[in-house]
Amino acid sequence: MTHPSSALDDTIHQRVRLGILAVLSESRRADFAYLKDVLEVTAGNLSQHLAVLEEAGHVQIAKSFEDKRSRTWVTVTRRGRAALASEVAIMRALLDGLGSGQRA
Amino acid sequence: MNADEVRESLAFSEYARKRARDDMGRPWLALVLLASLSVVSLSLTDASTSPTVLFWVFAGPVGAGAIALYAHRRNRSSGIDSSPLAYVAITVGLLILSYTAGKIGFAFHIPGISRFGPAFVAAVGYFALAWIERSWMVAAISFSLLAIAIAIIGFDFNPQQSTALVFGLYGITLLAVGFSMRAARRQLP
Repeated sequence: MTHPSSALDDTIHQRVRLGILAVLSESRRADFAYLKDVLEVTAGNLSQHLAVLEEAGHVQIAKSFEDKRSRTWVTVTRRGRAALASEVAIMRALLDGLGSGQRA
Repeated sequence: MNADEVRESLAFSEYARKRARDDMGRPWLALVLLASLSVVSLSLTDASTSPTVLFWVFAGPVGAGAIALYAHRRNRSSGIDSSPLAYVAITVGLLILSYTAGKIGFAFHIPGISRFGPAFVAAVGYFALAWIERSWMVAAISFSLLAIAIAIIGFDFNPQQSTALVFGLYGITLLAVGFSMRAARRQLP
C-alpha cells in the first residue's frame, strides 16, 4: 500500500514551479519578467525551473522581439494544466484526510 | 511533508492565481463601459427609435474598438496575456440582448420590458464577468441589478423613475467596484 503523498508529482510540487503553472493556468501566456516579479525569484533560478517544466512538457517557451527588445513568453500546455489540477486535488485530499499538524 | 507544508503550497498556488487574475488586461472594465452605453442607448428609445439606431452605429464599433485597444495595451505592458474571446462574446451578446429587449418592448407595446430590459441586460453582463473573474463581488452586483429590474416591474415605476433608479445604482456600483479593486490591489503582498 502506497502513502497518498507518493501521488504528488515531484516535477511540479516544488513551490516556484507550482507558482509558474498557477499563474499560467489563469492566462493565455505570461512573460519572463512578469513571472520573475510575481514569484520573487532571480532570473537564473526562474530559468532553471522553466527548463524543468519545459522538459516535462508542462510549458512551452517562445522568444520574440517587441519594440527592439527580446521578450520571452511562456505558455502552459494541456498536459501542464492537467498536472496542476491533479496536484492541487491531491494536496486538498491530503489535507482533508489529515488533522492539522499531522504528518502527510 | 506535513499538513502545514501542503497548506502553504496550496496558499501560494492560490496567491499566484489571484495575482495573475488581478494583473490581467482587465478588459472587463471596458466591457462595463460598453454595458453602460447599452443602458444609455435604450433609455433613448423612450424618445424615438432613430437616435438609438444612430447611436449603435457609432457606439458599437467604438466600444468594441476601445475594448480591443485597451486589452492589447494592458497585455503588452503588464506581461500577462488573457484570451479576449470570452470578453468579445459577452460584449456581442450584451449588444444583441439590449437591442432586442428595447425592440421587443416597443414592438409589442410593453413599456415594462423596455424599462426592465437595460437593467436585466446589465445584470447578465455582470454575471458573465463574475464567472470569468471568479468574483463574488461582481456576482453580487449582478444580483442587485436583477433585483432592481424586478422592482421596476413589480412596483410599476414610470420611465423617469426607472431610468433614475438604474442609473443611480449603476453609478454607485461603478464607484464601489473601482474603490474595492483599488483596495484589493493595495492588499496584495
